Amino acid sequence: MLAEPLRLQDVRNTSTFRLTLAFGLVFALGVAVLLGLIYELSARELTNRSDRILRTEAVLLSAVPAAQLPDRIRTEISRNTSGLNYFELKAIDGEHVAGNIRMSRSPAPDHASDIAAGVVGDRPIRLLAVRIASDETLLIGRDISPVVDLRHRVLAILIWSGLATALSVLVSGFALSLAPLRRLRDLQRASRVIAAGNLEARMPLMGRGDELDLFAGTVNTMVEEVGRVVAQVKGVTDAVAHDLRTPLTRVRSQLYRVRQSPGVETQAAAMIEAATEDLDVVLDRFAALLRISELEARGRRAGFGAIDLSRLARDVCDLYEPLAEERSVSLELLSSPETEVRGDAKLLFEAVSNLVDNAIKFVAEGGHVAVAVAASAHGPIIEVRDDGPGIAPDERRAVLRRFHRSADVADVPGTGLGLSVVAAIVHLHGFGLEFDDAEPGLVVRIRCEEAQDGREIHFTRQPMKTGR
Amino acid sequence: MARILVIEDDVTTAREIATELTAHGHEVAQVHDGQAALDMAMREPFDAITLDRMLPGMDGLVLVERLRERRVLLPVLMISALSDVDDRIAGLRAGGDDYLIKPFASNEMAMRVEVLLRRRQQSSESAILRVGGIELDLIRRKVRVEGEPVRLLHMEFRLLEFLARNAGDVVSRRIIFEQVWGYYFDPGANLINVHIGRLRKKLDRPDKPSAIVTVKGEGYRLDAV
Repeated sequence: MLAEPLRLQDVRNTSTFRLTLAFGLVFALGVAVLLGLIYELSARELTNRSDRILRTEAVLLSAVPAAQLPDRIRTEISRNTSGLNYFELKAIDGEHVAGNIRMSRSPAPDHASDIAAGVVGDRPIRLLAVRIASDETLLIGRDISPVVDLRHRVLAILIWSGLATALSVLVSGFALSLAPLRRLRDLQRASRVIAAGNLEARMPLMGRGDELDLFAGTVNTMVEEVGRVVAQVKGVTDAVAHDLRTPLTRVRSQLYRVRQSPGVETQAAAMIEAATEDLDVVLDRFAALLRISELEARGRRAGFGAIDLSRLARDVCDLYEPLAEERSVSLELLSSPETEVRGDAKLLFEAVSNLVDNAIKFVAEGGHVAVAVAASAHGPIIEVRDDGPGIAPDERRAVLRRFHRSADVADVPGTGLGLSVVAAIVHLHGFGLEFDDAEPGLVVRIRCEEAQDGREIHFTRQPMKTGR
Repeated sequence: MARILVIEDDVTTAREIATELTAHGHEVAQVHDGQAALDMAMREPFDAITLDRMLPGMDGLVLVERLRERRVLLPVLMISALSDVDDRIAGLRAGGDDYLIKPFASNEMAMRVEVLLRRRQQSSESAILRVGGIELDLIRRKVRVEGEPVRLLHMEFRLLEFLARNAGDVVSRRIIFEQVWGYYFDPGANLINVHIGRLRKKLDRPDKPSAIVTVKGEGYRLDAV
């Protein structure tokens, strides 16, 4: 994901984009209302003007005696060279008496209404009906093409300006979102490095003092403090392990020399041997503890190269096959495709060895252990599966803690540090470690893919009665 | 008896190394400074060197590089508190023959020195290794016990070869794991025990004691029986 290019969806989800869109919408709405208002007021004014002209005309014609009215209408029509005015005189029974239009239905008297183009000629008209003294109906119309034109133009302006506004809002939203999105990507990248355990890493600051800088600064302060506390705790642990190791090693050497010197009684020799063995256990634990610290401290990947996982799994199986045979455990290497990853071969060998050693140790006599290397869509997987007692789901996180030993396996030899070493190696590679129920037994998977979103250790929660 | 140059600035550690090597019958010369050590190594004949990685005057890595440049090909056991795999690799690349991490058990240190001494002696020897009734043909990778061929797997052969090259001396499980398998982590005592046990089964003859002897708390030794 780190190397992925910016996707449209990423931009779409940014708050800058959404804000720009919201502002754009409000702006477009304002423009629409404004244009609508202008249109409405202009149209109303033009209509009112037409109505006033029609009514003036109506008053003038109403004053003409009924007998002269048809002639007067004809005169008006002949004077109407522009062809914009329309007249019709209808008898009481609705019959056409005179005029240049023939309306089948008259509007209500004293009311003006719009007649669409095509009804009377090919132009829209505003038509006023008045009842004159002789109870005849006089229809006076006026061409309102300019008003209709105006309406169409305003509508077109509304549509085009709406489209242009929408487009400019989208483009500016996209452009405005890019810079913050890139910054967020940088912050996200830095946070992943920190989440992967590098407490020396910091969030990048642009020095603008904007909200992202403020946020990054706060996180940096937090990481610095966490790093200081972790280093303090780790330093104390390591110092204890290191400082005790030196005198204990000297004690061991002295015991060894005493044991080698002539004249040591058999009973004393046995006691010295027992003390040496106990010291070896303590020294092994210190060594393992320091090894974990050493692995955790290794940030760089200088020793990384291409590893053939199938070969690695085969070598581990070859190494542990005699141990499995001695415990009457069948150790199986499942046929695996040629799978290659980048990593430290010796460290991965150590991690897989630890898992196989554990599996052989914990399965009952006659049990099965299988090592498999498989390919997945996200990268190769190394899997160690056994049919032993497994690890109870609520204990799967605890087994990664240093010195953790389940109460029900106190009789099985071990330091309680093996899985911590595995976790440290997996962490160093940026791979994922997964514990699952093998029904019955345990399956541990090392997912050889770059850990994403800080995910690294995954525990599949399934009911399991027994625990390791 | 071999003559060994101990280069170590910490007087207590230098004394421990000298005491242990003397107890194993070697003659020891101590020097606490890098430049003085280089001069002494060039001037006097030695069979092996134990070299502290961090020295006043001259860094251990530089010292071993200078020695190799001047065609001093003595086996060098580098001793260092730097335990990281990268540090170990740097030490071996500079010209060290083995790498031991501080703090160390004195007998383990002595074992490593002796493994180096023997490796040096054997470098020009014949392709056949014989320890009592066991015969290893290093070229054909064949083994005979009392004249009878014994089939060994690849790693079993390497294990036996290592034990045979150090016949008569105790080698620890850790040294075995490092030298035979080439890994530097602790695989647990039991793993090496079972590999030794399997090898024993193939080598042992009913009328004779086992050629591979377990030395409690220390390791294993191949004896001529």
